[in-house]
Amino acid sequence: MTSYEDWNKLDDDEDVELEYLDYLEGNKDVILFCIDCSPSMHKLYEDPRYEDVQTSHLFTAFEAAMQIQKKKVIVGPNDLVGILLFNTSRQCEPTTGQGAEIKKGTYVYQPIATVDAPKVQELMRLLDAARENPGLLSQKFPPLTEGRVPMGDVFTSCNWVMRDGAPKTAVKRVFLITDEDDPHPGPARERLLTSAKTTLVDLLQAGVTVEPFFISTEDKPFEPNKFYSAVLLPISITDDDGSDGTVLPESISITRVEELLSQMRFHEVPKRALFSVRLELAKDFTIGVKGYGLVTKRERGKYEYFYDLGDRMVPAKSRTIKVDDASHTYAGKSEILFGMTLGGAPADEDKEDAEEILGVARVVPANKRPFYTRDEINSFKTMGLEPMLKLLGFKDTDELAYEDNVNHSIFIYPDEMTYSGSRRTFTALLRTMLKKGKIGIALGLMRRNMSPMFYAMLPQEENTDENGWEEPAGIHLIPLPFADDIRTAPVETAHRASSKLQMMARAWIDKISVRRGGYPPDSYPNPTLAYHNAQLEAAAFREEFDEGSFEDLTKPKHDMIHERAGQLMQAWKGTLLGDETANTVPTKAGSKRKADVTVDEAEIRSKHEVGMLDKLRVDQLKDFCKSKSLPVSGKKADLVERVGEWLDTHA
Amino acid sequence: MPAERAGFTVTMFLVDVSPSMGKLREVEVPNGPNGETMTIEMTNLEYSLQFVKLKIQEMIFNGRKTDQCGVILFGTDDTDNIVNEKNGGYEHVTEYIPIAQPDAGTLAKISAIQPSETTGDAIDALIVGIETQHQYLTRKATWTRKIVLITDGESPIEIEDWEATVKKMNSLEIGLTIVGIDFDEEELPFHEEDKSDIKRMNESFYHTLASKMDRGVVGNAEFALQELSRPEIRQVKSTMTGTILRIGDVESRAEEAIEIYVKTAKYTAKAPLPKMKRFSRRIKMSGEDDERMEVDEDEDKTVWAQLARRTEFYIDRGDGATEDGVSEAGDAEDESKGEKVEKEELIRGFKYGASYVPCPDNVFPHLPTVKGMEICGFFKAENFKRWQEMGEVYYVFADPDSPMQQVALSALVRAMAAKQSKLAIARWVRTNGADPKMGVMWPMVVEDQIDYLMWVRMPFADDIRNFPFASLEKLVTKTGEVVKSHPYLPTEDQVAAMEQFVDAMDLMDAGEKNEDGVREPWFDVRLSYNPALHRLKQALFHAAIVDDLATHPLPPPHPELTKYFEPPRRVLKRAREPTEQCKATFNVREIPAKVARTRKDNHVRARDEDEDILLLDKMAKRPPTSSQMPASQRPASQRAVQASPSRPKDKGKARTGGDSSASESETEPESDAEDLLLSKGPHLPTPTQSPEPDPGRAPGRIIGNTYPLEDFRQNIARGDVVTKAVEDLAEVIKEIVTKPFASRRTEEMLQCMRTLRKVALEEDEIDAWNAFLRQLRHVCLEERPGNKDFWEHVQGEGREISLISKSEASKFGGASDVTDAYAVQFINQQ
Repeated sequence: MTSYEDWNKLDDDEDVELEYLDYLEGNKDVILFCIDCSPSMHKLYEDPRYEDVQTSHLFTAFEAAMQIQKKKVIVGPNDLVGILLFNTSRQCEPTTGQGAEIKKGTYVYQPIATVDAPKVQELMRLLDAARENPGLLSQKFPPLTEGRVPMGDVFTSCNWVMRDGAPKTAVKRVFLITDEDDPHPGPARERLLTSAKTTLVDLLQAGVTVEPFFISTEDKPFEPNKFYSAVLLPISITDDDGSDGTVLPESISITRVEELLSQMRFHEVPKRALFSVRLELAKDFTIGVKGYGLVTKRERGKYEYFYDLGDRMVPAKSRTIKVDDASHTYAGKSEILFGMTLGGAPADEDKEDAEEILGVARVVPANKRPFYTRDEINSFKTMGLEPMLKLLGFKDTDELAYEDNVNHSIFIYPDEMTYSGSRRTFTALLRTMLKKGKIGIALGLMRRNMSPMFYAMLPQEENTDENGWEEPAGIHLIPLPFADDIRTAPVETAHRASSKLQMMARAWIDKISVRRGGYPPDSYPNPTLAYHNAQLEAAAFREEFDEGSFEDLTKPKHDMIHERAGQLMQAWKGTLLGDETANTVPTKAGSKRKADVTVDEAEIRSKHEVGMLDKLRVDQLKDFCKSKSLPVSGKKADLVERVGEWLDTHA
Repeated sequence: MPAERAGFTVTMFLVDVSPSMGKLREVEVPNGPNGETMTIEMTNLEYSLQFVKLKIQEMIFNGRKTDQCGVILFGTDDTDNIVNEKNGGYEHVTEYIPIAQPDAGTLAKISAIQPSETTGDAIDALIVGIETQHQYLTRKATWTRKIVLITDGESPIEIEDWEATVKKMNSLEIGLTIVGIDFDEEELPFHEEDKSDIKRMNESFYHTLASKMDRGVVGNAEFALQELSRPEIRQVKSTMTGTILRIGDVESRAEEAIEIYVKTAKYTAKAPLPKMKRFSRRIKMSGEDDERMEVDEDEDKTVWAQLARRTEFYIDRGDGATEDGVSEAGDAEDESKGEKVEKEELIRGFKYGASYVPCPDNVFPHLPTVKGMEICGFFKAENFKRWQEMGEVYYVFADPDSPMQQVALSALVRAMAAKQSKLAIARWVRTNGADPKMGVMWPMVVEDQIDYLMWVRMPFADDIRNFPFASLEKLVTKTGEVVKSHPYLPTEDQVAAMEQFVDAMDLMDAGEKNEDGVREPWFDVRLSYNPALHRLKQALFHAAIVDDLATHPLPPPHPELTKYFEPPRRVLKRAREPTEQCKATFNVREIPAKVARTRKDNHVRARDEDEDILLLDKMAKRPPTSSQMPASQRPASQRAVQASPSRPKDKGKARTGGDSSASESETEPESDAEDLLLSKGPHLPTPTQSPEPDPGRAPGRIIGNTYPLEDFRQNIARGDVVTKAVEDLAEVIKEIVTKPFASRRTEEMLQCMRTLRKVALEEDEIDAWNAFLRQLRHVCLEERPGNKDFWEHVQGEGREISLISKSEASKFGGASDVTDAYAVQFINQQ
């Protein structure tokens, strides 16, 4: 691929300045879907998407769970999921290990485990069958005939299931899906409410967070303050953000059932900070901030190596070792020092023969050390700085050019837990920068083993744009290129267009402009990733991959372009062809070639039409290829073929 | 633009080895471990050879075959040079290293150069150098010639014919650099006090010589060495790659669709850090090594071997029960490595959750794509989100050989740049079958020269994370009221202070003055060197030319590298007042770290692992976890007061804001107010993302406010901290019940009390319990804010929770001064 992927990677594994993302890979994410099976969830209605199909909230919930599983399996192949149902009379099979003794009225449909193909397929089959036979879900998971399971019991069950299935260090979350805003209206309300509260505390205590997805309909709007605000509110225990359990109620969703999936997608990846550093605004004037990756390149999963044992496959673990080739000895980590390459083994005749035996090595007087330790190397990389972000000053916003970019930005948000008063200071700073139209310039070292970089601090006002995209308030840190990273323009002059051509171009540009908004990331799912994942999924399900069904959404909407601007574009092209400047004969400065070498397109075309392309010389064919941005590699026959193809497609 | 082409150069180093070069000098090296100034002694020859070695090291680093050098010594006892061979004369000049591409051996040889017994003539050496270089380059007329002369100027020179030599050098376009040891230098500045007459004459001669040269320079060795560490940018010319810019469907609607032939080239490209190799000390082995050692006269050598990387694969034939990736990186130890397999036997594939999916042909077919850039649409520049740019930036030029293409692109660019300028959304496929990338293109107009586009990658839907963040400006209470004043919100004074600070810290007029005497902005990316890159390079070069880093530590970084590490002095001075103002009004306090304790329960916080990786360094400063329990929101000083069980009065005072130090208590209200707050919108508060909340332990406590009961049980289970646990839990209960919303935790607190009482009884902490209960009653009923409700709940528990009486105590072998009757009365009294 491009050098982009590689720019951070040195030749050696540990020296790699990792992309921030990599630090997060160690953590597993566990999601337990906890789905209400009450009669209202089972209630069938016409599917708004398809004719003559009946669906239910429960069906949609299952479908969302399935989609999230499918997504998870690819994004985090080590993540775990499970499905727990409540308000169902279905009993757990006594033998199932996980959550075997959970509370009555709750049922573990899928115990917590790493997602795998059979599991997803099982869900898909269930959904397919339920589509055929809408009553299936209520047969399989009959709703409780009387009353509802106390929410406290539901939370307790979640706790037990998590305890049995989730690894210790995972990020554990329960996605609670229900449409009942008042589960316990009866006289026992107070008691049940209290028990729900306490069991929720237990759950939190066990490191599990609950992220509710409340389904609201027109007939049955979901009013959280009937029950849930009382249950969920008091547990204003912190989140990792430190700041504010109560002021930061970010993970609750009240949604129409159709949007359940998209709501869940928002929560698919748990919010995690990349780093927490101090932001030094001036000497002894420091606040705490946390950094988040709001834009992070997502790549297809890494391939791994497997060994075929005949009856099954086992993954192969790799280990990189450092070897002294000449003496065939391993080197332990602590003994390794760093230095510059010595080049290849010397080949010259006049070098002492001893070097032959030595291999690539450097000889110094006894007990002398000509190489650096890891710590020394690190101190060079960091320039002796401690991790921090240090403000250097402010500049006008337009000083930040579009082209001063090398990598994606990082979003910072105040961290009240390291410095109290961070929030008000940050807010005041943000407000002032926005008001005065300023950006900050900062020096930053985000982690111990990274190297310092300069950042532009771009203030972000809180707003919601037309697409419903919510932009949180904070500051974007844009890594600036160093002088070492900037290259000069290889071309300095060119012919210019007349104002007539410019205006004609503007006409069709305006026709194919989006009316509102800017670049819409949401419209462009990564086709490479999707294509890869579709194949991976098909292979996992042992199905045939249907290439025809794959649609690359990043392709331009040609129909729209031609419909709106086709005529204008054609007219522009006509004018261009007749343009005087455009038809100047290029004078090749310093060209050593004879004039007759260049043949024009018409001549080549005529040669092609009579099948005489191979009469042209290789350099002539190459020139033609170059002018059409075609590759110039290969033998003459390749060139002839390439030119021929081009002429055919550009008749 | 590069003035010289890189490579295609022969550099001759002419080194003076006359006896005077053996004079010792003191060289300052970076400060020792305790900041003391350190110097080392070396000869002038060794000192000046550092320059030669650094120059050669750079050639080795760049690794160009066409970057060659030769070394000629003058003042040698013998004579060995081509001019002497042919014509005689030119004695005491020796061709030491013939012209070739240098390698590590070259450096080793240079290190071996020693001062001689004879003096040599620099001009002789210069002529030999010119001749040797000229002969080598007979057939390479276009190569660049450079000569570097190293001397202390203490030896006599015959200067008769020097004009002829200059003429010759100018005709060959030779660049001459004279590096003089302790030559006078304005720039440093340096002036040698007791300069010998001969040196003074020679110095002035060298200056004349250099001034007559087209490319000549004389410099002081120390200055030259310093300048070598100046960051130098490796000019990389961007290669241009041809592609096609398309608008519309060129296949089926070619008459309307537009195609422009363009060339792309990188504008930004992250320069990689210098590559490093690993080395380890080779343990001497018997056999042939010993022989070699004998050859080296003594055994006092250490051999450092360059290490190669080797990747080995292991499988576990067991039941696959071992979790992947958990194998500890135990060095060289082969614990549970499993069975080694060869890479050739392995199959490549992907993980699909727990399922393994081997890939046919080792890779899935790629998405079929067609090379080119396609415009998907345009949008208004004002709607561009700068922060979404994802990577390096590219130039997009029209085909430099085709006026037609240039005019076409120019029209597009200028039309986009016209008022209400527009940017293009462009999908770029580098080569057929390559992954498509989405990006944005913007117009660049260089008046009277060229119009072109620039392209940068933008995120796909998959690349965007919609993490929710609480509003910084809108704080809303539970009842929907907007909070106007809160410790999270800056006050008017604070905003005013910040505005002054931002104004003072403005860099727009903090740079150098330009021709018109107007100050330019400070900080220019085009002048900001990558400090790590240049420092590392300097370090590696340095290590390559010295034998021992302990005695020859690396000199400090060139000041050019750190010039942007601090705000300009002008700005700092201007901002002094506003900064003080900000510090005073914002009153930001670092929250001291709590003592991290390892939890014993099964559910370990996920954060822990995460943070260990992320915040290695911050761990000490930052509380390892955080708590929203009101108590932990308070500055530590107050918390400490509250933690002290003997001063309940103080606590009450602080709570009601009666504390005289206003600034101290400024953050106080937030703990209370916070619980009232909600952010606006359809959101509800909820236990948020936290994998596990913080135990909320005050400093010095082993029982936290968050899970007091659990903490207590664990500590009791440990057995050795019972007294402390009892004491702490008692304090915690008293704290919690006087917090707002304590009613939510009533049941929990009662549970705590039951447990506490039971433990107190069994573990002979009876007095502690009785004292606690009396205090609790006092806190609930007599103090403000108090909590009458809670006490009523306690009373509701009845005799079971009351003071521990004599009779009860005696059952467990303890003692109490409370009678049964009083225990009953105590709990029932109103």
